[in-house]
Amino acid sequence: MRRFYTFGVTFLVLFVLFFGCKREKPILTFAVGGAPSEVVYWEELVKDFEGVTGINVKVLRQPTDTDQRRQGLVIPLKGKQKDPDLFLMDVVWVSQFAASGWLQPFDTYLAGDTTILGAFFEGVIEQVDKYKGNIISFPIYIDGGLLYYRKDILEKYQLEVPKTWEELVKTAKLVQKQERKENSQFYGFVWQGAQYEGLVCNFLEFLSSNGGKMVDESGNFTMATPENTTALKFMHDLIHSYAISPPNTFTEMKEEEVRTSFQRGNALFERNWPYAWSLHQGEDSPIKDKVGIAPLPRFEGKECASTLGGWHIGLSRYSDMKEEAWEFIKFVTSYEAQKKLALNLGWNPGRKDIYDDNEVREALPHFEILKKIFKNAVARPNLPYYSQVSEVIQRELNASIAGKLEPKEALSNAQDRIVEIIQVYEQ
Amino acid sequence: MNHYTYRELREAAGFIFPLLFFVSVFILFPVLGSFWNSLWQDTPFLTNKFLALSSYARLFKDGLFWEATRFSLLFVLVSVPLELVFGMIFAIILNERSSIRWLLRTVVLLPWAIPVAIGARVWQLIYNYDYGPMNFIATKLTGAPVNWLGSSLGAFFSLVLADVWKTTPFVTIILLAGLQAVPEDLYKQAKIDGTNFIQRFFRITLPIVKPIIIVALLFRTIDAIRIFDLIYVLTGGGPGGATTSISLYGYKYFLLGDFGYGSSVSIILFLIAFGLAFLYIKLGKFREAVL
Repeated sequence: MRRFYTFGVTFLVLFVLFFGCKREKPILTFAVGGAPSEVVYWEELVKDFEGVTGINVKVLRQPTDTDQRRQGLVIPLKGKQKDPDLFLMDVVWVSQFAASGWLQPFDTYLAGDTTILGAFFEGVIEQVDKYKGNIISFPIYIDGGLLYYRKDILEKYQLEVPKTWEELVKTAKLVQKQERKENSQFYGFVWQGAQYEGLVCNFLEFLSSNGGKMVDESGNFTMATPENTTALKFMHDLIHSYAISPPNTFTEMKEEEVRTSFQRGNALFERNWPYAWSLHQGEDSPIKDKVGIAPLPRFEGKECASTLGGWHIGLSRYSDMKEEAWEFIKFVTSYEAQKKLALNLGWNPGRKDIYDDNEVREALPHFEILKKIFKNAVARPNLPYYSQVSEVIQRELNASIAGKLEPKEALSNAQDRIVEIIQVYEQ
Repeated sequence: MNHYTYRELREAAGFIFPLLFFVSVFILFPVLGSFWNSLWQDTPFLTNKFLALSSYARLFKDGLFWEATRFSLLFVLVSVPLELVFGMIFAIILNERSSIRWLLRTVVLLPWAIPVAIGARVWQLIYNYDYGPMNFIATKLTGAPVNWLGSSLGAFFSLVLADVWKTTPFVTIILLAGLQAVPEDLYKQAKIDGTNFIQRFFRITLPIVKPIIIVALLFRTIDAIRIFDLIYVLTGGGPGGATTSISLYGYKYFLLGDFGYGSSVSIILFLIAFGLAFLYIKLGKFREAVL
């Protein structure tokens, strides 16, 4: 009998826990994940918003992993759920979400007032946030590939920051040879070559800085061009013939592996996203104040390029609180909120006017270079089935830099497979 | 059948019903549901339409799917026999009387108690190019570090090693249970007859634990063909897609939002697992052995 009571009480408690906290009034829900500091930033911002407008917002915490964040959104949206009302999207999901009809276009809310849009980077809005001529999202953070270099080491050998890839190879080889005498794990240049999305981002930078393109003006894929082949061959050679990039580049090197290798003092140059800056400059970093940033190099006679990344805010078409959600979007894309993002997190806001703010410039002098880089950032192909295309590209690129496939063959395989994918999904 | 009374049949049905109910709800319906999904074009950004079996036609022409299938089968062929051999050795050692038997049992079972993802992460550190212990040894022996996960073959055997480490304890537990069922008297008699250890193993132990071996093989084969978590964490399917298993391949389509095609991959995986289970039960004369 005693056991029966225990069971009964436990059941009652659980029942109350599950059904007792029924929502009194509607609450706006906002799904966001990522690093703990990121979630804390949003929770603070939500408090400010609640204070100003009186609209209640609940932050739905998502995991850090990008793929899992996407899954967490696709499931409720596919089920036409009212929650979450608002969410952050990686730059490459936006067109899939838009093509699925999940995003509320903002044109009626903007009501012809395009001055708001003027505050953002024009290239980003054009390449990402427009779907069939309508605005469907807003950039919150922006990312682009950068070259990090060791100021102290370059000074020691009296060398310049390389402007071209050829110069980078020459400088890295020379320094690597000298530094190896003391540190056998020292490499000239670290970048992301593991089989994942980051590899496509790196490849896009190499090929764009050689005048190549993944997609031509009329929207056709052009993977196996001579420019792209040279770029891929160069990536292969960095590891295998110049030997200035570590052999585990194509197995292990993702953002964090690259960052830690550079931060430990094991590399001269690093390709990474802007997030690495505040970590390299952290109090516990052995390379604090020894780091500089520059645009990524280019091939002789070509233009530099940086792959566009970042996160965009979108409103669910199934939301039952669209007016309130619009207030929230206006609030989080405001000058003050975006400035806070830069000052508190050291991240790169979607609004370009923040980069010229005096206070921001003083705290984050590298924003001057970032602004220039973001202005000309290159977007990845903007397709609803981009992930599938990327999957194929990653596989072929990775096989090629691992030395399993000739660059030309890898790229023409990728081209063929992409054509097959297009046949399936383009109807 | 006729010698059962109506009452007996009714009672039997009552006993079987709960099992049938749970099997239907948790196994049969999900499988049928996946099959139903696989007949449709179910991609958020395209209109839903009935495709009948054309997803399967697409699958049969999909070279990458066949590569994944080949990998999964090879993985089973290499890892399961190794697990069985090591599992048997450990089970025999643990079955011997010894004052530290409890300690040995705990140590041997430890890998099985660790979640796969965590185990995989640990192996990733072991294989790490810069600071992994494997390369510490390799550098001492050959003078140069090895990129363990960098070649197709290296990645394959790295996965096999991690999987054998992880699941041998499972085989050990099952076989140990089987060994304990062997009557001591048989060994005593055989010893009096002057047999050696090898003879006793093949003439007494093996025939008696054979049904248990089949059970262990069955579980391990089904688990190994569906391998996902270890690969997801350790190699992500690389290098160049060389270690993509069928599960991982299907998962990537779910991630993209192509639920129809992803479902058809799952169904083929289900059929392969089902076929293998069927084969074991037939070849192992499981029915007679158990009854």
